[in-house]
Amino acid sequence: MVKKLTSAPALFAAAGALLVTGLLLGFLYAPIDASSMGFSQKIFYYHAPIAETALVAFGIAFVSAILYLRDPDPKWDRLSYVSVRLGLLFSLMVMVTGMIWGKAAWDAWWAWEPRLTTFLIVCFLYTAYFVLRQVVEEESRRATYAAVFAIVAFIDVPITFFATRYMPEGLHPVVIKAGDSGMEGSMFLSFMISMAGMTLLLVALLRADVAAARLKDEIDDLKTRIGG
Amino acid sequence: MSIEEGAKYVAAAYAVILAVVIAYYAVSARRVSALARDVELLKVEVEKREAAGSGD
Amino acid sequence: MGGRQFMAILRKDVIRELRMREMLVSMFLFVMLALVIFHYAFGVDEDTDLTSFTGGMLWVTFIFAALLGLNRSFAQEKDEQCLDGLLLCPVDRVTIFFAKMTGNLVFLLIIQAVSVPLFTLFFIERSYAADLGLFLLVLLLADLGICTIGTLLATISMNTRARDLLLPIVFLPLIVPVLIAATSATTAIFADGADLGGLAATLGFLAVFDAIFMVAAYGTYDFAIGE
Repeated sequence: MVKKLTSAPALFAAAGALLVTGLLLGFLYAPIDASSMGFSQKIFYYHAPIAETALVAFGIAFVSAILYLRDPDPKWDRLSYVSVRLGLLFSLMVMVTGMIWGKAAWDAWWAWEPRLTTFLIVCFLYTAYFVLRQVVEEESRRATYAAVFAIVAFIDVPITFFATRYMPEGLHPVVIKAGDSGMEGSMFLSFMISMAGMTLLLVALLRADVAAARLKDEIDDLKTRIGG
Repeated sequence: MSIEEGAKYVAAAYAVILAVVIAYYAVSARRVSALARDVELLKVEVEKREAAGSGD
Repeated sequence: MGGRQFMAILRKDVIRELRMREMLVSMFLFVMLALVIFHYAFGVDEDTDLTSFTGGMLWVTFIFAALLGLNRSFAQEKDEQCLDGLLLCPVDRVTIFFAKMTGNLVFLLIIQAVSVPLFTLFFIERSYAADLGLFLLVLLLADLGICTIGTLLATISMNTRARDLLLPIVFLPLIVPVLIAATSATTAIFADGADLGGLAATLGFLAVFDAIFMVAAYGTYDFAIGE
C-alpha cells in the first residue's frame, strides 16, 4: 500500500492536485494585493515555491554529495547529479517568472535586486557543475570532484544572497517584499499549498529521473559485459 | 497597470511554468521508455552470449 | 611534523617562483595593462570622475590576475610531476593545501604590493594614507578568500581535460561575494575615507567567508587531491 502511495504516478497526481488547488485558492480566494503590484503579485504563488524548491534540490545534492564522499556508492552520485539538474531547471524558471513579474510590477525586465541576482549567480554556479562533470575524464574522479563542488557551491548560495542583499552600494531599495508586509491568511494558505505541491513535484521528478539514471548506468554495465 | 494588463503577465508566467514542466516530463518519459527497451534487449543479448560461452 | 612539512612545501614554491619569476612577471604585466585599458575604457572624458569605480577596477583585476597565477602554479606542478612525487611522501593532504594556499597568497600579495601604488598614482586623487591599515586589512581578508577557494578549485581543475578553461568557470561564481564585499569596502576607503566602525560589517563578512571556506577546504581536500 505504501509502495503504491509513493509510486511515481501517485506522487505526480498528488503534486498536481496540490498545485492546482493552490492556484485556484490564489486566484479565487486570496485578494488582489493592495500594493502597487496589484494583480501581478499573483505570480508569487508559484514563483516563490519554485525558488524554495530549487534550493531544496540543491540542498539534496549537497547532502547526497557528502554521503558519496563518505561511501562512494554510485547511487549517491546519481541523486546528486539529478538533483542539481532539476535545481537548475527550477532556477531557470525562477529567473523567467521573476523577470516577467518584474516587467509587470515595475516595468523593467531586469533589476539588480538580491533574489534575481542570487539566482542568476546560482544558475552560473550549477552550470559550472555540469561543465566540470563534462571535462573530467576518469569516471571515478568525476563523481568525487562533482561532489566536492556540489558541497562548496551550496555553501556559497546563502552567502551570495547575503552579500547581494546587504552590501552593494547605491542599490536602489527596490525589493520584492511580498511576504514581509505580512501576508493575509488567505494568501498564506494559497502559498503554503502551492509550496507543498511544488516540493512534491520535485520529489516526483527526482524519483523518475533517478530511476532513469539507474537504467542508463545498468545499460552501460551491460554493454561493458558484452564488449569485454 | 490595469488588471487586464497584469493578468496577461501573470498568465504568461504560469504558462511558462506549465510548458516547462510538461515538456520536461514528456522528454523524460520518452527517454525512460527507450532506456527500458534497451535494457531488455541487452539483457537478452548478455544471456545469449554467456550461455554460448559456458556451453563451449 | 606538519609545521615542518608546511614550511618545506611553501619554501619550495616561493623560492622557485622568485628564481624563475615567470608567473610573477606575467601577473604584474597583466595588472598594469588592465589598468591602462581601464583608463581608456572608462575615462573617455577628461573630467570623468572614476572614484566610484576604483574598487571595482582594482578587484576585478586582482581576481583575474589570481586566476592566472593559480592556473600557472598548478600547471607547473602537474607538468613536472612534482605533485605525484609529493603525494608519495607521507604528507598530510591538508598540509599540502595550506602550503599551496599560502604560496598563492604570497604571490598575490607581492603583485598587489607593487601594483597598488601604481594604481593609486593613476586613479586616486584623495590621499587615503590615514586609512591604509584598514585598506590592508580588506586586502588581506579578500586575498585569503580568493586563495582558499582558488587553491581548492585549481587542485580539481588541474586534473581535468580543459584545465585553463575550467578554473574561471567554477571559480568566478563562487568568488562573487568576496568581490562584492571587497569592492564596496575599497571604494568607500578611496572615495570618502572610512573608519573601522563603518566597515566592520563588511570586514566581518569577509572573515566569516574565509573561515567557512577554509573549513570546507579542510574537509574536502583529501578528495580533491585524489588517491
